[in-house]
Amino acid sequence: MARKKKNVAKAILMDGSELEYVVSDNPPRGGMKHTYFTPNKKFAVQFFNEDKDANSPLIRARLENIIGLYNPTLPESEGGAMGNTEQTAKYFSRLFCWPVALVELPEFGIVCPTYPPQFFFDKKASKAGLNLAGKDKKSTWFTSRTSRFLEKGELGTFQTMLRLSISLARAVRRLHAAGLSHSDLSSNNVLIDPKTGSCVVIDIDSLVVPGLFPPEVAGTKGYIAPEVSATMELPLDSPDRKLPCAATDLFALPVLLYEYLLKRHPLDGPKIYSTASTEEDEFLQYGPKATFVENPQDTSNRPPDLQVTIHDLGPLLEKLFLQAFVDGMHDPDRRPTAAEWERALVKTWDLLQPCPNDQCSAQWFVLHDVNHPVCPFCGARIAPQDVLHLRLKRAIRGRRGQWNPVGEINLYDQMPLFAWHFLANTYPDEKMTDRTMRAYVSHQNGEWYLVNGSLSGMLSPRGSMVPPGQAVWLRQGEMFPACNHQDALLLEVLKG
Amino acid sequence: MSSFSRRLPVYLLLDCSGSMSGEPIEAVRQGIKTLLNELKGDPQALETACLSVITFASVAQQTSPLTELMLFKEPKLEASGMTALGGALKVLRECIDKEVRKTTDTQKGDWRPLVFILTDGLHTDEDEFDRQVENLKTLKVANIIAVGAGPYVDQASLKRITDNVLLMNSASAGDMAKFFAWVSGSIKVSSKSLDAKPGANIQLAPPPQGFTIVP
Repeated sequence: MARKKKNVAKAILMDGSELEYVVSDNPPRGGMKHTYFTPNKKFAVQFFNEDKDANSPLIRARLENIIGLYNPTLPESEGGAMGNTEQTAKYFSRLFCWPVALVELPEFGIVCPTYPPQFFFDKKASKAGLNLAGKDKKSTWFTSRTSRFLEKGELGTFQTMLRLSISLARAVRRLHAAGLSHSDLSSNNVLIDPKTGSCVVIDIDSLVVPGLFPPEVAGTKGYIAPEVSATMELPLDSPDRKLPCAATDLFALPVLLYEYLLKRHPLDGPKIYSTASTEEDEFLQYGPKATFVENPQDTSNRPPDLQVTIHDLGPLLEKLFLQAFVDGMHDPDRRPTAAEWERALVKTWDLLQPCPNDQCSAQWFVLHDVNHPVCPFCGARIAPQDVLHLRLKRAIRGRRGQWNPVGEINLYDQMPLFAWHFLANTYPDEKMTDRTMRAYVSHQNGEWYLVNGSLSGMLSPRGSMVPPGQAVWLRQGEMFPACNHQDALLLEVLKG
Repeated sequence: MSSFSRRLPVYLLLDCSGSMSGEPIEAVRQGIKTLLNELKGDPQALETACLSVITFASVAQQTSPLTELMLFKEPKLEASGMTALGGALKVLRECIDKEVRKTTDTQKGDWRPLVFILTDGLHTDEDEFDRQVENLKTLKVANIIAVGAGPYVDQASLKRITDNVLLMNSASAGDMAKFFAWVSGSIKVSSKSLDAKPGANIQLAPPPQGFTIVP
């Protein structure tokens, strides 16, 4: 059969360069734009559905700024965001699908990179009766009952879900640090790959810059902040009308995190809010009467069969989820910031424990209480001699001998440790270039050892030097500086 | 968990009268296949949407009962006879009564059904049609979208069914493909952002090029 010849058109970009794209019959159509692809599928070329948007000076100005001034995926030296280095630009270009150019001809439009291939299903991803080859990995596939249609290998583990949770919190923190808000964070606009533990934020072009560029959409159901839903009936210029902004991103963000980690929606419970109509019931559920399924004071929306709860995610995340969905549910100012989420997620990462049950669906869990080392997902118990925590403490400046707790890590055999586990003021964020393993944990015959890989000046509990290749014996109650560096953290050994 | 989830019932009312025979009815068969595949590729639609087909020719009947997408079996469509659109609306009401769950004290009900009517001509059952459209708009039993294909459509009578009327140029395979792509787009929009405000108009996908909205 003769193949239909592709209809290739040419776009002239703002810098005068040309880009070819394939004109298709029924291009994918969103609320505002429709999309064509370059012949090599590396870029998407998007045009507006309506002339009034294509000709809007406001939209043009917004997009010019998004591509330049506000762009965290471009180094400052190349016209990107202030303070952005080549390294941080590279880091964030993996977390965002950020527009790269504007189209002048045949009409005004934008060019975005296509999503990396891991965010598309392949033909082996789904079970019989369903072919998802080429469909994008919206997170609902993995966090709802639809996950039953996916092959097990697609679903990832609790560890990979926590990893991509950190990435998303970091991405939102970066947007907010620049004074931007996404304004439509949702399961459709953050693609995830649980297999590799990665995520990418898409649909960047509707970013809101407070005071400069107002929001265009209310958001996506389930991720719209309650105050936005509740005031949607008011006219746009009413002072009581609430619109998407950074504070509403800080509702959508924990909804996504909650879904990733617990595979359910924080507002979807058994409560019937109204029997007048389904629409009224739903309006109250996501709007003025929204009730967290795990609200400790109001259990009216709590499902009867909750097995894993926010308590099982460790004290840091439990506190933030309560802050977001109880204190901050109807009080936007009380919601935790993206930076707080990022910090709590990173610290929770240090409490991960591999589940000894190889049939366990989660494979990893947060071992936050040495006296209760039980996997909440499958009930497997860790023997007390196999549980050890290190408490990390930082010297208080100017107060000799006084220390502040900065974290706690759960140890398991062969666990790698990095610079940020031994030094204060060192964080594993986008600026951290040193990601080499500095030491690792060895758990042999009931005893625990910390083996030096490449930590310079590592010290034993007695204060003697431990060269690379040698190990420190970790015994209950011991407390010692990790190394002879001036920023060294104090390690305290805590047995189960 | 299933007891907390609401369904989105979708009814397709398809004209299978004689004028649809040949290319148009074949395009409808293909369209239903494409629609099903498209919806199954969207997790929200797959989880919430349920599909039913009601056909109308000399008589109207429900050829596929309201079924979740993974279990949906494509109907066998043949085109011949008259255009009992009034009868189809009657069947639609009976099916909604029977199949769509209401919200009660203990059960999450279904969303208001989404109904797409596709016809290429004028209805032939005048009396039944008059009876059925009499209080259809005020009852708000469903969000109805009527789509007329080709030159023989009677816009005024479609307007009596619903305020949402669209016209496409022809019942050709190309236009039918566009129609079904648009239906799937609209169902996906619906399952994402259905009325945050109670009772507000549904959001449909922007209509494809060549389709006109009848004001």
